[in-house]
Amino acid sequence: MLKLTDLTASVGEAGEARTILNGLSLEVPAGEVHAIMGPNGAGKSTLSYVLTGKAGYEVSGGSAWLDGHDLLALDPEERAALGLFLSFQYPLEVPGVPVMTFVRAAMNAQRKARGEAEISAPDFIKMARDIGKELNLSADMLKRPLNVGFSGGEKKRLEIFQMRMLEPRFAILDETDSGLDIDALRIVAEGVNALRSPERGMLVITHYQRLLDYIVPDKVHVLSHGRVILTGGPELALRLEKEGYDGIEGAAA
Amino acid sequence: MAPARGALSPTFPDASPAERALADRFMAGTVDGRRGRAFEAFARTGLPHRRLEGWRWTDFRAALATLAPVTATGHGQALPVADGAVTLRFSGEEIFLPDSLPDGLILHTKADAPALAGAEEAPMAALAAALAGRGTGPDTVILEVCGRVAEPVHIVCEGGGAEVNFARIAVIVRPGGALDLVESHLGGAGLSSVLIEIDVAASGQLRRTLSQRGDAHEAQAITALVHLDEGASYIQTALAFGARVARIETRLVHRGTGSAAVLNGVYLCAGGQHVDFTSHVRHGAPACTTRQVTKGAVLKGGRGVFQGKFLVPRDIGQHTDADMQHQALLLEQGAEVFAKPELEIYADDVECAHGNTSGALDPDMLFYLRQRGIPLTEARAMLTQAFIAEALAAAGGGTHEALSAAASRFLSGVSL
Ligand SMILES: Nc1ncnc2c1ncn2[C@@H]1O[C@H](COP(=O)(O)OP(=O)(O)O)[C@@H](O)[C@H]1O
Ligand SMILES: [Mg+2]
Repeated sequence: MLKLTDLTASVGEAGEARTILNGLSLEVPAGEVHAIMGPNGAGKSTLSYVLTGKAGYEVSGGSAWLDGHDLLALDPEERAALGLFLSFQYPLEVPGVPVMTFVRAAMNAQRKARGEAEISAPDFIKMARDIGKELNLSADMLKRPLNVGFSGGEKKRLEIFQMRMLEPRFAILDETDSGLDIDALRIVAEGVNALRSPERGMLVITHYQRLLDYIVPDKVHVLSHGRVILTGGPELALRLEKEGYDGIEGAAA
Repeated sequence: MAPARGALSPTFPDASPAERALADRFMAGTVDGRRGRAFEAFARTGLPHRRLEGWRWTDFRAALATLAPVTATGHGQALPVADGAVTLRFSGEEIFLPDSLPDGLILHTKADAPALAGAEEAPMAALAAALAGRGTGPDTVILEVCGRVAEPVHIVCEGGGAEVNFARIAVIVRPGGALDLVESHLGGAGLSSVLIEIDVAASGQLRRTLSQRGDAHEAQAITALVHLDEGASYIQTALAFGARVARIETRLVHRGTGSAAVLNGVYLCAGGQHVDFTSHVRHGAPACTTRQVTKGAVLKGGRGVFQGKFLVPRDIGQHTDADMQHQALLLEQGAEVFAKPELEIYADDVECAHGNTSGALDPDMLFYLRQRGIPLTEARAMLTQAFIAEALAAAGGGTHEALSAAASRFLSGVSL
C-alpha cells in the first residue's frame, strides 16, 4: 500500500542544503501497522512531512507511492484526499476556526475531491458526538477554536479525533504518545486500534516502546541518520528499550 | 461672503479639470454664506492629494482627473437589514425618504446648509457640505433620535452612474436615545462624498455599521464627525472593499465624562482597489474609553491604508483608557499596506496602547489545513476569515451575518 524506495530529501537553501532522509526504503502492506523508532533528529518528522507534502523539503531522489499514486507529484490536499493523514507531533493552534467547522470543511473537501456527496449536518454532528465521547472530548471543546488553549494531551486527542472523523486509508502518527499520561495514552491507542482494518495502513512514529504495548505493530523499523537500519517484529522495540539506540546502531553498522 | 466665480481662481492655482467642474457645480446654485464657507474650506486644498498632511497615501486629485459619469450604477446589493428598517436613499440628484417612521425617530430636512465646524480638517466633508442637495433635494437630512428606536435606519448611497453623489446627514441622539444606523455605500458615481454628523447626548447609544463597495473608476469619501457626551456609547463597524480611492474617515470627540467608543474596520482589497481607514479620536473628557480594531487583507495590486490617532490632552484627558490595533495580511506579493498609528498623550494617568502588524498567512497553518484536505484557496479564505472576524463582531442592525458572508464571498473568489 505504501512503498518508499531510496527516498532522499534535504532542507535548506541550495547552497547549504542538508540531507535529512538518506536513501530510506520501507513498505507497509494494507492491513498492517508499522512502527518507526529512532533517536531524536533521525529524520522521523521529516519523513512525515515529505510524505504529506510540506513545503521546504527538497526530494532529490527515490519515490513514494500510495496505492499506485505517486505521492511526490501531488499537492498536500490531493494526498489528503487519497486518504493520507498525519497526526502532527506539534499540532498547531488555529485561532478563529472552530474544531467542528474545520473538520466538516476538511471532510467535505475530501469528499468533493473524490466525487462523493457532502455529509449531512445531522450525520456529521452525530458522528462527532460519538467519537468525541470515546476520546473524552466534550461538545464544548469541539466548538472551540482548533487547538487554541488546549493542553498538550488534549491536542493529541484532538488529532486522533480528526483521524477518526476523516477515516483515512493511511495514517502517520508522529509521536502521538509524547506528553500523554497513561490514561490519555490508552484512550489514544484505543482510537488508533479502532481504525485498524484490512484496507488501512499505519505508520506509528514513536520514541518510546511504551505506546507499542497498546498499539501492537506488525513490524518495527529503526531509523537512524535518515535511513532504515534495522527491521524486525514487535520484539525489536523491546530490544531497543533494553539496549538503547546506541547499541542497536552499533550492531547494525 | 459668497465667493464670486473669479474669487475662486486664487485658491485653485492649478485647478484640475475635476476641481474646475466642482467649482462650476458650486457656482451653478444659489450660494448662501455657510455653503460658501464650506466650499472655501474645500477650495483651500482642492481635492486632497499626497502632499497634504494626512493624505500622503490617498490622492483624490490624482485619482480624479476629470469628473465623469460611470457605467456602473452601483455595486452589489444594499445590506439586508433587520425587519422594519427605515431606508433613506441618496442617489445622485435624488433623495428618497421614508413615508413613515418608527416611534422615537423624527426626520427633518433643511434647505440651507448648516455650518460645518472643523471643515478645514476634512476637505472631502467640506465638499459634501458645499454640494449636497444642489439638485432638488434638501441640503441636510437630520435624524433626531428621541427614544430607544427598535428598528434600524438604513442609509443607502448609490450614484446610479452619475458624475457625483453628495450627501449630508446628521444624526442627533437625545439623552437616553438609542439607534442602529446601517449604511450601504454602493458607489455608482465618479465621485461620492458622504458626510455624517453624529451627536450622541448623555447616556445615548448609537451603533453604526457600514459597508463600502466601488470600482476602479470611482472615488469615494465617507466622513463621520462624531461627538459623544457624558456616558454616551458609540460602536462603529465598517467593511470596505475599496475603489480607485476610498477613504473612510472618522473624527470623534469624547466630550463628556465616561463616554465609550468602539471603532472597528475591515478592508479587503483586490488588485486596483484602495481603502483608506483614517480616524482621529480626541479624549476631550476624563475617563472615556476607545477600542479600535482594524484588520485588512490585500491582494496583489491592492492598497490598504490605516491612519489612526488618539489625542489625549493634559488635564481633561485623565483616566483615558484607549487601545488601537491594526493588523494586515498581505495575501500576495505586490500587495501594499501603509500604516501610521499615532498616540499623542499629554495626560499622565492614562492607559493607552497600540499594536500594528502586517505580514503573510502562517505557512505552517496553511499546511495544517491542506493536510486535512482543504484546498489552498479555501484554506487561505478560512484563515483570513478567522483573522478578520473579531473586527466584524460588533456589527449591528442584523447585518453581522451579511458582512461575514460578503467577506467570505470575496475571500473564496480569490484564487491566488
Ligand atoms: N526545516 C529544517 N531546517 C533545518 N534543519 C531541519 C529542519 N527540519 C529538520 N531539520 C533537521 O533534520 C534533522 C531531523 O529532524 P526531524 O525529522 O525533526 O527528526 P526527528 O523527528 O526524528 O526527531 C534534525 O537534525 C533537524 O535539526
Ligand atoms: Mg520528530
